[in-house]
Amino acid sequence: MIRNIKLYFSFLVASLKRMMEYRVDCLVGMVSQIAFQIIELVFIWIIFQHTDNIAGWNFEQLLLLYGIMMLSISITDLLFDSTYDIGKRLIRKGKFDTILLRPVHPLISVLGESETSTALGYMILSIVLIVSMLIKLHISITVLLIIKILYFGILGGFIIGGIQTIFSIAGFWTYKSNEVVWSVFQLHKLAEYPIEIYNRFIRILITIILPFAFASYYPAVDYLEIEQNYIIYIVPLITIIIWIIAVSVWNWALKKYRSTGN
Amino acid sequence: MAIIEVKNLVKKYKISEKENGILGYIKHLFHPKYKEQIAVNNISFNIEKGELVGYIGENGAGKSTTIKMLTGLLTPTSGQVVVNGIVPNEKRILNNKQIGAVFGQKTQLWWDLPVIESFKLIKKMYEIPDEDYKNNLKKFTKILDLKDLLDKQVKNLSLGQKMRCEIAATFLHNPKVVYLDEPTIGLDILVKENIRKFIKDINKEQHTTVILTTHDLKDIEEVCDRIILIDKGTIIYDGEKEVFKNKYGKHIIAEFIIQNKNSNITVETIEEEFEIIEENETSIKIKFNHERLTIIDIVKSISKYCEILDMHIQEEGLEEILKEIYRGELIND
Repeated sequence: MIRNIKLYFSFLVASLKRMMEYRVDCLVGMVSQIAFQIIELVFIWIIFQHTDNIAGWNFEQLLLLYGIMMLSISITDLLFDSTYDIGKRLIRKGKFDTILLRPVHPLISVLGESETSTALGYMILSIVLIVSMLIKLHISITVLLIIKILYFGILGGFIIGGIQTIFSIAGFWTYKSNEVVWSVFQLHKLAEYPIEIYNRFIRILITIILPFAFASYYPAVDYLEIEQNYIIYIVPLITIIIWIIAVSVWNWALKKYRSTGN
Repeated sequence: MAIIEVKNLVKKYKISEKENGILGYIKHLFHPKYKEQIAVNNISFNIEKGELVGYIGENGAGKSTTIKMLTGLLTPTSGQVVVNGIVPNEKRILNNKQIGAVFGQKTQLWWDLPVIESFKLIKKMYEIPDEDYKNNLKKFTKILDLKDLLDKQVKNLSLGQKMRCEIAATFLHNPKVVYLDEPTIGLDILVKENIRKFIKDINKEQHTTVILTTHDLKDIEEVCDRIILIDKGTIIYDGEKEVFKNKYGKHIIAEFIIQNKNSNITVETIEEEFEIIEENETSIKIKFNHERLTIIDIVKSISKYCEILDMHIQEEGLEEILKEIYRGELIND
């Protein structure tokens, strides 16, 4: 386990080195992501030109929620970005065989190939958003709060990354796995808004089935001290459960893959 | 005890049967029909530590499927593979630590990184002790002439340079067994020779067991002592290379330099015992079965038609023998 984690970081460092080789690509990716996110923020601003709250959340609170989700996404992008297109990138091309021949769990090898320039863009923007909204909302930025934000940001990143990893096994059967993962991933947008606005079905979807809300909504409620919420304490448990599922479905898919060949 | 034990190994693939046209495609979507195809049909062999084995056969004979099962990439349908006491398919990661593999053009190196960075990652992955790593790196750099390549990115290397690095990467952790699937494909003669020499050197030094599949039979001629020949999923020969040549290489090719030809030999009736491969005014090339005819017989019959100035005799190589086997000219007995 520890050996695998160490190797994961060695692979990740290699990926980052590789990314640095393409500085222009890196910069373009970063800038375009920031631009894309700013457009989404403009939409939220437009909505608030017509109303002063959504389910009791004002503009600043909503942007804080948005920033928290973005921080989680940036962690996902940084650490677990590479599983989503394994069908096209590795399996179809037969490159997966060389990964299977390494004395490391294949999931570690694949995850370690994450190289994304978007992570940095997201991270910068989310920190700007979170800090400025906290100031606007007159919430004092204590050391405890900073630790909390980082802690739940990282766990949130692991939750979303875990969900992505679970669905990435589609790549063993279709080379269009990126579209499967992408459509599941897009559901995280639902958790960029307070869950009070949704009906029961969507609430269950983003808290129990695909628990994106734990990467944004529940931490936000805690920071905003809207109500006493104990649910925040189960976030680590949820993270662990998701990753146990992710590793199990991967092992299952690997077994299937090796019995059919390609 | 053998380092590789293969017993009654079978691999069947399910192949989907689709009818033609869009309609057939849709039909398949709802009622998929499968046909079974046997890629490897009940093969068994043992390989001892330190052997250099050439695993040969035509495309689609079952070579790659066997190698994939030996490496644990593929689960056998039935039968057993044991490599150095480990069942590769069950203890994949443990098995990966003791083997090395090169699969044609698929690289195990990191494409965008300098070669040396890949080597360092491999060192970490296989937990190679510092001492071994240093020694091997030094030795491999010398034999494979990698000195100027180590700091270059893999993507900037030529095919031959890449393969030399690839081979070095494969042997870096002192694997007990190495599978080389088409390691010399597309390479020029010098690089090929370099790689063959490397394999032989390491085998002598480390007693590394090597299984080599290749279409360039020169690789086998020069590197391997033993041949396993597979055809349509079954082994049709397993034994020493020299024995193989003696058993199937019944032909000799003789080339005569001639003059004053009085008539065309091809047109004239001649015993079916020998075959004329090439004929012109100054030379003639003849292939004959040396168990039934001697060179003297040939000389006698040709000299009726012309004056012989000189001759060269050549035994049939592995390549010609295999061609005959694939064409079905040599019946396995």
